[in-house]
Amino acid sequence: MSLLFKGRAQGAESVKIGMFQLIIMFFTDHLRQAVNSLGELWRSPFASLMTIGVLGFSITLPSTLYVLVKNTEQISQQWEQASEISLFLREGVTDASAQQLLTRLRLWPEIAEVAFISADEGLKEFQALSGLGDALNYLETNPLPAVVLVVPTSKHASPTSAGILLNKLRKEREVEIGKLDIEWLERLYALIGIAKDLVTLLAVLLFFAVVLIIGNTIRLNILSKRDEIVVMKLVGATDAFIQRPFLYTGFWYGLLGGIMAWITVFIILLWIDYSMQDFMEKYQVNFNLTSMDLSTLIFMLLVSVSLGITGSLLSVQRHVKDIEPR
Amino acid sequence: MIKFEQVSKTYPGGQQALRKVDFHVEKGEMAFLTGHSGAGKSTLLKLISIMERPTVGRVLINGHNLSSIKRREIAYIRRDIGMIFQSHQLLMDKTVFDNVSLPLVIEGHTRKNIAKRVDAALEMVGLRDKAKSLPITLSGGEQQRVGIARAVVNRPPLLLADEPTGNLDPKLSMEIIRLFEDFNQAGVSVFIATHDLGLIARMKYRTLTLKNGQMITDGLDEQPNEGLLV
Ligand SMILES: Nc1ncnc2c1ncn2[C@@H]1O[C@H](COP(=O)(O)OP(=O)(O)OP(=O)(O)O)[C@@H](O)[C@H]1O
Ligand SMILES: [Mg+2]
Repeated sequence: MSLLFKGRAQGAESVKIGMFQLIIMFFTDHLRQAVNSLGELWRSPFASLMTIGVLGFSITLPSTLYVLVKNTEQISQQWEQASEISLFLREGVTDASAQQLLTRLRLWPEIAEVAFISADEGLKEFQALSGLGDALNYLETNPLPAVVLVVPTSKHASPTSAGILLNKLRKEREVEIGKLDIEWLERLYALIGIAKDLVTLLAVLLFFAVVLIIGNTIRLNILSKRDEIVVMKLVGATDAFIQRPFLYTGFWYGLLGGIMAWITVFIILLWIDYSMQDFMEKYQVNFNLTSMDLSTLIFMLLVSVSLGITGSLLSVQRHVKDIEPR
Repeated sequence: MIKFEQVSKTYPGGQQALRKVDFHVEKGEMAFLTGHSGAGKSTLLKLISIMERPTVGRVLINGHNLSSIKRREIAYIRRDIGMIFQSHQLLMDKTVFDNVSLPLVIEGHTRKNIAKRVDAALEMVGLRDKAKSLPITLSGGEQQRVGIARAVVNRPPLLLADEPTGNLDPKLSMEIIRLFEDFNQAGVSVFIATHDLGLIARMKYRTLTLKNGQMITDGLDEQPNEGLLV
């Protein structure tokens, strides 16, 4: 409706068309503008590729690191399952009663495996490893206790549940001291935590930079279309109408940048995977890098598209308003 | 239709372009605005299309005070006013059809309706066969007529023209004025700024004259003051 002239119809109202047709028109209009914006990018392929590249690589870096950190976490879980609890038995516990303890422990659901090292075996092993050799023969009594090694089931292998298991084991009559060597695991966890934080920080900084770069690209775009924008404003275009193609440009930058990030991340991971083959065989760990799940891929694309749109939104809101016919 | 009440305009920097201008152009009227270079003609038109705001006074269109129009609403005001510029303001890399259809595209008309109306507008200015040409390939007069077609394509009730006959020869100028007369006959209010006094002299239209920002004559001007041409 016209603001100045009562009853003067503007635009689509001036012809009688149905609601359905209006909706169809809305979508075809947007589709046309989206395709037009894509065409604009195509017309200056070099400049467009540079912007898409900046966006793509900026998403590639944190994504790759994210996958690496996630995999390290998985590996550490595999290592963790090898974690052992050492139970040092009281002096005077005979090998027979130690065997009884072992039989009992085997019935515990938390425990996968138990092994017994008698005091004598322990001493022999110590002799061999320490290099003290015969010197130890001068000892009157064996100072080493008998040891029971307990391997928890994978379900009870995490530092906390292994800790709970350890406390339970300590209550056993024959046990003098129980020890769980998880300190290094906790350190690893802390390191992974720091790595995660760093990846997040890096991602935030990069995303911030991307928004600024897209914003600046769109700004240059707007300025190069200054004359056109002036004419559009003179014949009654709203800011929203003028902004739309630039927002679509931002959308395309985001989408294409995201797809580019997919491809580069995939190639990088394939390469790392290949160069880690040896390592993995040696350590018998399962390092499944290429398995980026669908939700991660979609998330990357969403992030990329929203960065593109945010950058252009910040730019159009400022610069389209500034251009006024004089 | 257009009413100025004690309007003054001082540009930032202190240049006073209009001083207490007071006039009223009626609905359905066709009127000319004249005056020496720098008299304030363009400024006056810019106040109507809200490209500038008055420093003092009120500008009303169809009884609506423009000072109450917010920034966001300006676009809608301009859809009611067909504007023709001395510097054409055409998009040189778009076809004549695209240029003329712009106001309709902005308003969201259907494709079919746009094609029909653009065709009619180009027919009116005699450029139907140039629809697919680029404006650069047209003569000055033809470009001016593309601008006119664009101004009238959405049938605005008010038509403003700033030096529409700027660099055109007398015959072509007359043709363009005849075009405006046709629109006026169809009920459109027409307001034309020009310093082409010879052109005005041949017609009996109301002529408003500005001098150094002041309205010095407001009425039928049968003997244009030659001194104004200085
Ligand atoms: N944007 C501006 N900033 C400052 N002063 C301006 C601006 N636009 C116009 N002026 C001044 O205001 C006065 C009136 O200018 P205006 O353009 O309205 O004159 P005009 O009658 O249209 O002249 P012409 O016939 O040469 O087009 C002039 O002195 C001009 O220098
Ligand atoms: Mg002027």
